[in-house]
Amino acid sequence: MFKILNATGGYGKTTIIRDISLEVKAGEIVALLGRNGVGKSTVMRYAAGLIPAMAGHAEIEGIPMPNSPAKRAKMGLGYVPQGRFVFPRMTVIENIAVAAASNGYNPKNTVEELMEDFPILVPKANELAGGLSGGQQQVLALARALATRPKILLLDEPTEGVQPSIIDEMSGVLKRINKENNIAILVAEQDLDFCLSIATRAYVMDKGEVHMEIDRDSLRANKTLQKELLGV
Amino acid sequence: MTLSEKIYQSAGLTLPAIATLTALVVAFLIDPYLAFVSTSWLIFGLLGMSLDIVWGRGGLLSLGQTAFYGMGGYFGSIAAINFSELTGNSIIWALPIGSLFGALSAMLLGYVIFYARMGELQSTILSYTFTLLLWSVIQTFKIDIGSASVLGDSGLSNIPGIIIGFGAEAESLGPNQALMTVIIIVAILYFLTRQLMHSHFGRIIDCIRIDSSKTELLGYDVRKYQLLNFIYAGAIAGLAGTLYALWSNFLSPSVFSIQEAFLPPIYVLIGGLGTLAGPFVGALMIGIMSFVLGGAAGGQTTLILGVTLILLVLFLKNGILGSLDSLWRKFLPDPNAAARNTNSVKIDVEVLKQILIDAEKQAGPAKNFSTIQLFKKFGGVIPVNKVDRNFIPGKPYSLIGANGAGKSSFLKTCVGIYQPESGVVNLGDDNITSSPIFERVKKGMGVKNQKPQVFGDLSVIDNLWIAAYSRTHDQQIALDISHKVLCMLGFEEQLGVNASALSHGQQQWLDIGMVLCLAPRIILLDEPAAGMTKEETRELSLLIRTLALHTTVVVVEHDMDFVSTLEGHVTMLHQGEVFAEGNIEELRKDERVLDVYLGRRKHV
Amino acid sequence: MELDYLATILLSSLSSASILLIAAMGLAVVFGLMGVINLAHSEFLMIGAYAALTVTKAGVPYILSIPIAVMITMSIGAIVEMLIVRRLYGRLFDTMLATWGLSMFFMQLVVVIFGTSTVSVATIPQFNVSIGEYSLDGYRLLMILVAALMFLFVYLLMTKTVYGMKARASIQQPEMAQAIGIDSNRVNTLTFSIGCGLAGFAGAILLPLVPATPTMGLAFAVKSFLAVVVAGPVALTGTVLTTLGLGGGSSITASFLSSVIGEVFFFLITALLLWLYPCGISAKWRRKL
Repeated sequence: MFKILNATGGYGKTTIIRDISLEVKAGEIVALLGRNGVGKSTVMRYAAGLIPAMAGHAEIEGIPMPNSPAKRAKMGLGYVPQGRFVFPRMTVIENIAVAAASNGYNPKNTVEELMEDFPILVPKANELAGGLSGGQQQVLALARALATRPKILLLDEPTEGVQPSIIDEMSGVLKRINKENNIAILVAEQDLDFCLSIATRAYVMDKGEVHMEIDRDSLRANKTLQKELLGV
Repeated sequence: MTLSEKIYQSAGLTLPAIATLTALVVAFLIDPYLAFVSTSWLIFGLLGMSLDIVWGRGGLLSLGQTAFYGMGGYFGSIAAINFSELTGNSIIWALPIGSLFGALSAMLLGYVIFYARMGELQSTILSYTFTLLLWSVIQTFKIDIGSASVLGDSGLSNIPGIIIGFGAEAESLGPNQALMTVIIIVAILYFLTRQLMHSHFGRIIDCIRIDSSKTELLGYDVRKYQLLNFIYAGAIAGLAGTLYALWSNFLSPSVFSIQEAFLPPIYVLIGGLGTLAGPFVGALMIGIMSFVLGGAAGGQTTLILGVTLILLVLFLKNGILGSLDSLWRKFLPDPNAAARNTNSVKIDVEVLKQILIDAEKQAGPAKNFSTIQLFKKFGGVIPVNKVDRNFIPGKPYSLIGANGAGKSSFLKTCVGIYQPESGVVNLGDDNITSSPIFERVKKGMGVKNQKPQVFGDLSVIDNLWIAAYSRTHDQQIALDISHKVLCMLGFEEQLGVNASALSHGQQQWLDIGMVLCLAPRIILLDEPAAGMTKEETRELSLLIRTLALHTTVVVVEHDMDFVSTLEGHVTMLHQGEVFAEGNIEELRKDERVLDVYLGRRKHV
Repeated sequence: MELDYLATILLSSLSSASILLIAAMGLAVVFGLMGVINLAHSEFLMIGAYAALTVTKAGVPYILSIPIAVMITMSIGAIVEMLIVRRLYGRLFDTMLATWGLSMFFMQLVVVIFGTSTVSVATIPQFNVSIGEYSLDGYRLLMILVAALMFLFVYLLMTKTVYGMKARASIQQPEMAQAIGIDSNRVNTLTFSIGCGLAGFAGAILLPLVPATPTMGLAFAVKSFLAVVVAGPVALTGTVLTTLGLGGGSSITASFLSSVIGEVFFFLITALLLWLYPCGISAKWRRKL
């Protein structure tokens, strides 16, 4: 359903990821694991069209995606960046509404639907997003991405700086939207627990390359592998 | 170096020298009226050069140059009016006083801009405000100073001309002689400035423009150099203003006006930013254009100027000289060719040891580095929570921890990028808690940040040299040290290559080499292995272990494999506090450590 | 007596500040929502004035000439954005220099077309308001209301419409705005065009007070430019405050002392504020716009 093929990219002249290929099938949740600095975020930014491709491309349902990130969003790619990057001087409602409206959906209905999905945002609805806590911003960033009605959702370190109770809630929500709305998810993480709790399959990255592909059960069973993969 | 390269290298001297001589001959021959008019073009070029020093070299777009020009002009003229009768000669009074007041006004403005560490936009705007402030003041300012009468809107008149003879009979020079005199003065200033910009001062200024935070990490007081450069440019502008006043015999407040403030940037952009000679080309072209089209006020000069400016910004950012320069370079052998045939770096431990022993002789023994109850918070987040650490030479120290554990905040507080809320940082016997970064470096701190910080436009050897010079203040010794480090890294062939042409990994090594040139007594390294290949990581580990024998070494690192090769002391941070410590085997056996590291929680 | 005098000064200073706000509003929109400093802003104001003047002379009622001026300046603004400004995003100083070039170009173009002389328009409303024994120009006072309405309009446009949300999202997190599907090119063209349209509106509405000359914009340019930069990231509300403070303050100073001291006041306080708030006075505000 969603594929990244032979992706090579980086910043300026510096190549960070080399020849990365991976696939997320329809309705699947896949994790992208690896230590700090191996290029997970770069893969995500590559897929979202935020860094120029030195080689390779990304495609949805067999159609190669254009360079413009805005067009990718309209083709059904939702992106939740590391560090959240909500629009700080806009309210929670506006953050969601602008995402819906930019893709031709009714902002009012979308906001209502998402507020039901994420009750944690309801009391903050009219506050500026910049004033929310890290966890609330993370949920908002997720809601904003969902407002674009994506077919594939890219999550970059969604648990970073988020308290455990919200992490549990988030994994519940992700599983539900995955099932109910049939949204495929690719999640880049360092938090192994979180990944094991939602993903069925994982790619492990090292030094800018995909090192191996592994299913959940093998990974869960093998403690030595866990340590090795994450370089502890 | 081939002949063609030699010619290219010396073009900044030979071409202006030829231009000066030609100009002198032409000045002698041309029509007096044309000589009179073209004198002003040269003066505007000088004003443009003063901006080029600040903008092209220093990196600050100043709209205050015309203010220094005006201040120099007014005070230089007042001096000339009052004193030139004593000697006959007007310029020995006017020029020094004019440049002095240009420099003083630049000092006043520059102090605020640089010492308040203002942002780019704010600096530009403040310089503009400064000019406008003077404009509005001078329009109504009326005062008699000796025989000079400053008459607000009506300006300052009766300014003597350019007189170089002495005694009562000395008279103003005719237009052709005046032009020749100005050519000589301007040529002297150009060559002086070029010399200055090629000296160590100019190189430091270049470094500040490219990366001011790295320059400070090399131990240079960035603000001082920026201010000195600004003052020098102010003096040049003041002198240009005085020449202008002597040339026109009259000065009005319009020198401070809005339109005037934007002329120097136009000269610089047309000629080429950072070329020093460019502004003269720019001023000359605009001068000729308005002469042909019939004066700057009427005619279509403004129209053409406006369009030219837009086109320059859009399509010819380097201006005329800058573009000619890159065209010329295309015909020369590529200096960066050597960057392509580099081998992977192999540390020569013997050479490294010799460097470290030399450093110890010159800079003294390694120093301890300690923090006492160091505390830093951002809003509700406390990334550094009362950390007590004492680092001593012998074995490398590693700080590990998961993302957000406070490793880099701790490091940044030690370096001086963050000011702690409470607690103490000691370097040797000195309390450096509130010292600026460059002073910490002078006391022996060396810092290598995660991303390679090199001066891309400078050659490899110059990068090393600028670091070594910061400590030695001796050009030759600095060169010797840089050559040794160059050999250790195996970069001999790449000596003349621009640092930006090196690969990411090579830039990391060059950055480490720069830190070694500082002969630091304590070294802080932030994730040095990030982005390195396995081979490079091995060499790095060897280097760090060798370093630790001679200095104190602290490494912040995420990669436990790498940390284990260092065979040193390991401290694990978690939520801003020391969570565990010991050697790496002990920590790896500790289930608590693994839980934190893998993000495992009890319920799995 | 004293009170009347004071009220007169306050009112006339308030209207001076309002005039400055009217002139600066478009600049604030472009700076606040695009991060671009448009040094040709004052020339768009001048074009607006000339447009209004020309159609009024052709027999169109003055009140109708205002929307025409807005449309003309908006169109020119959109063209300028697509031809010049778009290529220079993220290069603040280059944009400043290019728009400065543009301002010279426009100024001279108007000299070529209309000459340097001023033509007054007889059909423009003029009336007086008296306070005690003092008399104030009514149209000047009306500008307080115009500034307030203009501010309200821009504020609502930027906070209540989908376009406004897109524009704010694009400046706050440019990358994320694109990643959720906002076509920032189109948003930016529209924002720049609106900024220029506001300048055109200012030129037209101020025509009875400031006669159209090729250099008329300069008088406003510097002060509105400084007010906007000092205002900082919350550009619109910030600019209201800085124009009132700086413009009003300098006008009051000018009425009690002299006009030069008023100017000096303006520039000195600007320098002081830049020193105290290097990122603008609104850098830490939690407000939408």
